[in-house]
Amino acid sequence: MTGAGPPTEASSVPRAVASSGDLAARQAALVAALVAGAPTPPGFATAPVDAARAALLRKRAGDVARHWPLLAAGLGDAWWETFRDWAAHRPTNGSLRDGWDLARALRVGGALPPLGAEELAAREAATRYDGLDTPRPRRLPAVARAGGAVAVQLAGRVRLLRPARR
Amino acid sequence: MQRRQLLRGWWRLRRRVRRVTGPSGVGIGWRPEIAGFVAELPGLRFVEVVAESVHGELPPGLAELRARGVTVVPHGVRLSLGGAEPVDPARVAHLARVAELVGAPLVSEHIAFVRAGGLEAGHLLPLPRSREAVAAVAANVRRAQAELPVPLALEPIAALFDWPDDELDEADFLTEILDATGATLLLDVANVHANARNRGGDPLALLDRLPLDRVAYVHVAGGAERGGFYHDTHTDPVPPEVLDLVGALCARHRPPALLLERDGRYPPAAELRAELDALAATSGYPVVT
Amino acid sequence: MTVLAAPGDTWGISGPVFLGLYLLAAVVVVGGAIVHRSRVVAGRSVGTIDVLGPQQVAYLNGGNQLAVWASLGGLRGSGAVGVRPDRRLTTGSALPAGVTPLDQAIHHAARRNLYARELTRDEWVARALTELREGLERQGLALSPAQRRTARNGSLAVLGLLVLGAVRMGAGLSQGKPIAFLLVAFLALAVTAILLNRVPWRTRAADAALRELRRRHTHLAPASAPAYATYGAAGAAMGVALFGTVSLWSLDPGFAEQAEIQRQALSSGGGAGSSSGSSCGGGSSCSGGSSCGGGGGCGGGCGG
Repeated sequence: MTGAGPPTEASSVPRAVASSGDLAARQAALVAALVAGAPTPPGFATAPVDAARAALLRKRAGDVARHWPLLAAGLGDAWWETFRDWAAHRPTNGSLRDGWDLARALRVGGALPPLGAEELAAREAATRYDGLDTPRPRRLPAVARAGGAVAVQLAGRVRLLRPARR
Repeated sequence: MQRRQLLRGWWRLRRRVRRVTGPSGVGIGWRPEIAGFVAELPGLRFVEVVAESVHGELPPGLAELRARGVTVVPHGVRLSLGGAEPVDPARVAHLARVAELVGAPLVSEHIAFVRAGGLEAGHLLPLPRSREAVAAVAANVRRAQAELPVPLALEPIAALFDWPDDELDEADFLTEILDATGATLLLDVANVHANARNRGGDPLALLDRLPLDRVAYVHVAGGAERGGFYHDTHTDPVPPEVLDLVGALCARHRPPALLLERDGRYPPAAELRAELDALAATSGYPVVT
Repeated sequence: MTVLAAPGDTWGISGPVFLGLYLLAAVVVVGGAIVHRSRVVAGRSVGTIDVLGPQQVAYLNGGNQLAVWASLGGLRGSGAVGVRPDRRLTTGSALPAGVTPLDQAIHHAARRNLYARELTRDEWVARALTELREGLERQGLALSPAQRRTARNGSLAVLGLLVLGAVRMGAGLSQGKPIAFLLVAFLALAVTAILLNRVPWRTRAADAALRELRRRHTHLAPASAPAYATYGAAGAAMGVALFGTVSLWSLDPGFAEQAEIQRQALSSGGGAGSSSGSSCGGGSSCSGGSSCGGGGGCGGGCGG
């Protein structure tokens, strides 16, 4: 990262150029500590940074719940803890993908609630998501299953053929 | 022929005059979730829209407000002007496009960074109050200003923690950035309260030292105490302390406009109206409800 | 000059002449039937659509069942009904002021712990629905059974022509005459008769009113993730009325699941995540519209 400082404008402030790599690295270390489970960089007060980390995770949980309302509703009171345990050391890929990855992880673990299974099946019927890249709408008709729920998609309309096992 | 040219000139002038009508009075952050509530506020002259939430064309509710002559200010949240890396030109271009789309008199962003080292923080993070950071912000702000069709107002954020090696205090830090960029100030009174509460310092002393004549408009939002910290949540009611601080600010130098931000856990309409009325009463601006 | 009738012609009318007359009659009768039907179905344009309550709108949009869901949405929004673990409805708070007869009937049914799916069959509810429908008929928005029968009269005239055509074809066939052209005309007329026999249950005035209401209430569309707490019970009911049970599911997923509220087809993406997907740029988290660097959420701290 050294030497990757901002060009032209900053050249009038030599000190910034000299150490902007430093700022970049320190910012990266702070973000890693807040969202990716890295240790808090030296010199920072621990309690406030911990509080910020927790607040960030809470906010992220709220964002994901808005993108995956049925998954969150299906987990009910367990939503926050489920999300926290899953997300604490995982940087975000955006709320849509975060919820998707979580739902798939829960499905593998057999812990996906029926409402979440129905939401996942509906999403997977409508959208192609390989777990790595931005989800893309499917052009062809598709059938998707999750936790006993079956969803079909035809011309962009999704219908739940069978509800999840309850 | 001449008449038509005159007429066209008049329309152009009108449009420009309309454009430069800055935010005034009491406003509210426009969100799709409460678009129906905002549309029914009879006295509303000013709203803000989160720039990153506008894709393609204007949402219908916002277009109706524009047609009514309501000033719309795009508010960016993901530019990361405080990042050590140069600001992403595509994000600046999007902000500029939204500004054109709503005929905005100005746009606003934060003195903060939201990503670094390839990771998204999903949140506004504070900068060290150092000359190095001032230079980094100033460089990015100037890059953005070069591409934006309208002036930029900068908003200091609320943070729970400080960097270990601050060289400047908050007032000097902000003033240096404003001086270096010519940007105006978007002062968030709730952030002033939150910072004083969480990081120490006297909020009134800070108000005394900020260039209040350069405030473009003011943000007011709710928050809640949790775990020994005041969290600026935007999902809770505006606490009386924040409202008192609005009063103290207006007593020193009344800003041209005050905007209520609410981002979730939306309360019944009556409660939102009461918060807007309280802002109007505290600032002496006309009631918008 | 060609003769109109030759000794071998069925009924003394030649095939081409009969076909010509038959087609002429068909055009006249079908044209008349369309005009007649269109007059009956037009309805009266409402002076102001503001007088329409959510349940009336719901009835026009989706009949009895949607009117019941709209009422249930409003009652749920105000906390007046709930659901028990055994999936039967129950009552919550007292009925708010200004409720409709349908609200009262459903609240009463909830007190008797009916299942949500049984509501339309409940005697009190059915009576309230009849009352609702008759009010809309008087306003020229819904078609009464008598009006729908009248609207079908045109298709009866077409049916008469079909009978005539069938008899003629039978006679022609028995004499070994070609009937191909007449058969084509007959089939086309049969399809027309079936189409004319289909009569909507709301008037065109109601169609226009629904269009206008949807335009005015885009903020209640599921894509806006409406804040039902802010819009109140009436907003929740109107959301269900205009956009279907998907609104009830987003208003209160737990209630909707437990009470087994009917689901409807979702447009792709579904749910509340309208700002999701490709429009947000690769790898970055979407701002769902909050002012603090990526969505609001459940009190996690904002700072912007």
